[in-house]
Amino acid sequence: MAHRKKNRNVGVIGVGQTKHSSHREDVNQAEMIHEAVREALDDAGLKMDDIDCLVHGNMELFEMIHQPDLWHALGTGAYGKNTFRLTTGGTTGATLFCAGDNLVASGMYDVTMVIGFEKLQEGHTTGGITNMADPLWTRSIQTGALTGTCAYDLIQEFGEERANQVAMMYRIIMDQHAGLNPKAHRAFGLEWDQMDHLIKTSARLVGELKIIDMCSQSDGACAVIMATEEKAKELSDNPVWIRDHITVHREESFTMLGYDQATVPPLTHKVAAEALFKRNGISKPADYFDVFEMYDPSSWWGVDWLRAFFLLEGDEHLKLVEEKEIAIGGKIPVNPSGGVIASNPIGATALVRPAEACLQVRGDAGPHQIPTPVNHALASGFGGTMWTVLIMLEKELGW
Amino acid sequence: MSEKFGVKVEDIFNTMEERFRPEGAEGVDASFGYDISGRGRWKLTVKDGSMKIEQTDDLGGCAAVIQADADTFVGVNIGKVDGTAAFTSGKLSVDGDVGAFGTTAKLFKRFTPPKKELTVGEYVLDMFGTLEARFQTGAAEGLDITIGYDIGGEEGGQWTARIKDGKCTVTEELVPSPSLTMIMKAKDWVELMLGKVDAVNLLTTGRAKVEGDMNLATKLGELFAKYTAPGEEEEEEQELLVLKKIISVNQKFATGPVMGKYLNGLKEKKILANKCRECGRMQVPPREVCALCRIRCDEFVEVGPKGNVRLLDTAYYASPDPLTGETRETPYGLIYILLDGCSGQEVFAHFLRDDQLDRIEMGWNEKKGTIVRPVWAEERTGKVADIKYFEIDE
Repeated sequence: MAHRKKNRNVGVIGVGQTKHSSHREDVNQAEMIHEAVREALDDAGLKMDDIDCLVHGNMELFEMIHQPDLWHALGTGAYGKNTFRLTTGGTTGATLFCAGDNLVASGMYDVTMVIGFEKLQEGHTTGGITNMADPLWTRSIQTGALTGTCAYDLIQEFGEERANQVAMMYRIIMDQHAGLNPKAHRAFGLEWDQMDHLIKTSARLVGELKIIDMCSQSDGACAVIMATEEKAKELSDNPVWIRDHITVHREESFTMLGYDQATVPPLTHKVAAEALFKRNGISKPADYFDVFEMYDPSSWWGVDWLRAFFLLEGDEHLKLVEEKEIAIGGKIPVNPSGGVIASNPIGATALVRPAEACLQVRGDAGPHQIPTPVNHALASGFGGTMWTVLIMLEKELGW
Repeated sequence: MSEKFGVKVEDIFNTMEERFRPEGAEGVDASFGYDISGRGRWKLTVKDGSMKIEQTDDLGGCAAVIQADADTFVGVNIGKVDGTAAFTSGKLSVDGDVGAFGTTAKLFKRFTPPKKELTVGEYVLDMFGTLEARFQTGAAEGLDITIGYDIGGEEGGQWTARIKDGKCTVTEELVPSPSLTMIMKAKDWVELMLGKVDAVNLLTTGRAKVEGDMNLATKLGELFAKYTAPGEEEEEEQELLVLKKIISVNQKFATGPVMGKYLNGLKEKKILANKCRECGRMQVPPREVCALCRIRCDEFVEVGPKGNVRLLDTAYYASPDPLTGETRETPYGLIYILLDGCSGQEVFAHFLRDDQLDRIEMGWNEKKGTIVRPVWAEERTGKVADIKYFEIDE
């Protein structure tokens, strides 16, 4: 995959998020977005006048508002400014982040703010996702984003007992992380002794995918401000540098469920990780990175994708979970924020990943800050039908 | 009793008949069980717009049985616990048809706990217990005063509120010579605070006495927020409106010649794939190009109609069909089939006959899954539903 050195370095200098929640009837969309925008500006110590360009994104099929950026100008501060709108499904937030980086790195703008939001309670999530499928055939068959295939895969490969145990361990670790994050939508306070009970009794949605495994539907927004190296150093004491990112796309089809090991189609997460780490000279990503904010739509996917992103073999990814190495305090903490299972305002979700990773690098994550220094952070975005955005962040320049 | 919420489990069941909404029971013909740990089991039967609730250990024949502890069950019913969160976290579980159980949400008006009438003594304690919390710092600027309360009668007592530096401290004693002292019986004090009798009335009839700085007495209303009894609604805030909309759009999509050929094939009970000249893969339904090789695919091949199941994804979640708005019957099975003539990952997705969900074996590598065949609709117009579903080929 072609990759050129950046025209100029780009640093994240401001991060803002709403508290994610199931209901925000107290504010309208523009007002909710403004909460994140305000927090990001305050975090960066900037005013709207300092922002050269905005990028706005969400999944418009959820709330059925086309060009919501026009209405939202009341909350984003976009009036009279360069503004772009992006929507790439589940990856929207991560695409926003990459676009912001590209706009600044290219030399077009010095300071850019990217904004992702969703108010899922104002629309119909499963309907929205289904309506993304092609209307000629697939739309009539699909049921939103729910599928038991990943659970089936893990059970086939590692046996029912171990697969279920690992998925539920992952779930409980994420819930414990969410309990530390005041912005998380759901934190149930799950305990280890509930594991077997939950495995047995949690209601099944599709196949072995249980309701406890699946991500939430949330209302929330996230905003991130980026600046060129020169500006970032001038405006911020602790910019987080965007080292590199990659997007790997795929055709819209489910031709990956034939269960024929001779013809396994490549998983975009793995294609992305291999290419990104190769061009950055990283051979053992699980050793190199200090934290990973992963787009994990369910505990099964969360477990499975560790192998792809960290280029692991066999059951190494299961061991990371079983030995709690992915928990805060472990070797490679995954989603100290609680991840997507805890909070999922979809158009913001994939932006919350690098935003949270930046807070970890700065040491500003608060109660869910991991205790050891964070110099290298990884963040991912995911969209159906299976595509990937992967982002690398650094504390210091000069990689 | 749910200690946490002060409501008995029995209260919820005993009020079901008066809370029943026949309009919410339309089309419901089922029994539902409630198993409240340590408290007992109940069976609710709904039929023809009427209901019956009975306490019984026999929950046979129930479409679904809900299990929860008393606090969770009561909390959900009085709106203090989020039902979805309780269900998701396993505090409340449903054995049986979750979708059917969902219909019970519409059957009843919400349970509202009867308002508990406090005794005069309880009121007095609560009124002084909340006095500090009701203090309004803004109105107390520059004040350095003490207010004595001498509340007579068996249920009374003596209190002093000390206001200084914008803070209010309440102690259960009467300090010597307060700036202002109010003297009255407990019953009158309670009625005054609840707004059932006004101060002038009490003073003129001699039921209340005020000693000290009378000017201060007129300021009390500003120094303390109005007392509200426990459980009573606070002053109503501005109502937030939610506007409800339903979007309904007539749409028509051009199929183009490739999908058009395929959809026309269905009318003739033929399933057409197209083959990539470069990599040889079959696509069904056919696609205009092979996205991997980026070349046009114009070789059509009839495949199937039988094939072997590679994956059965059983949906238990009663999601609405976004195309019709109707809730799909659950469980239903989505199957990925390798139609005869296809191989590897060239699967075709469709639905399985509802009553065959537990009879399907899935394929794996060389091993073939259960062989299925399409069941065609009588009238075929070139759409997904031209195949009603697939069924086991036997």
